[in-house]
Amino acid sequence: MYLHIPSILTAYLSFFLVFVGSCLYLWKREKRDDILAYSAAEIGVLFTALTIIEGAIWGKPTWGVWWTWDARLTLTAILLLIFAGYLMLRRLTEDENRAASSAAVLGIIGFLDIPLIHMSVYWWRTLHQPPSILRPDKAPWENIAWPLLIPLLLNLAAFLFLYFYLLSLRFRFGEITAEIKALKLSRDF
Amino acid sequence: MGPWYFVFLAYGIVWCAILIYWLMLKRRLVRAETELAELSGLEESQRNVKT
Repeated sequence: MYLHIPSILTAYLSFFLVFVGSCLYLWKREKRDDILAYSAAEIGVLFTALTIIEGAIWGKPTWGVWWTWDARLTLTAILLLIFAGYLMLRRLTEDENRAASSAAVLGIIGFLDIPLIHMSVYWWRTLHQPPSILRPDKAPWENIAWPLLIPLLLNLAAFLFLYFYLLSLRFRFGEITAEIKALKLSRDF
Repeated sequence: MGPWYFVFLAYGIVWCAILIYWLMLKRRLVRAETELAELSGLEESQRNVKT
């Protein structure tokens, strides 16, 4: 629980940043927004993959299976595939601007899977338990006892701290890569 | 398999994955910074030659 929940909430935040960056890029066409979306997508894929692995490790002793085609698990796997596709699209399309625009559209569509994942435990009969923190009907402290909630929130804060550190590194890398491409292009002309 | 096996497995995978990603990112960043410095230096020297 202390790894699974913070990593999926970090992934949600990451894909929210992809959504914001993609919308801003399609609207204003500024490179910085595209770099933000690309950086957040890469780290989001890492945290989503970790969520699925940790979920399997949690699922084995509690459900008796590593994996089941439950609505929430399947939708999370789809989210991972969408953003893995996003990263592939970025790498395989040669035209930089076309790749950025197509990826922005995919990033926005991919983000729409998150409300489905979150509400899937209410809409369908699932093996997965309802949300622990982000519940529409209860505050977190009404749902989890404080001795369990405090370490969970501490872990969440640590994951977010780590996430923003990794995002700053990845964003800097994106900026430098863009600068290199611009320099090479100016030299060619 | 006791419960501690799963706990160690989960923590081990998470920290290994994050550590590997961080190391790869650092390496990519250092390479990009070196390439940028080289290109900027080249640009600068070409400008000096012209003037």
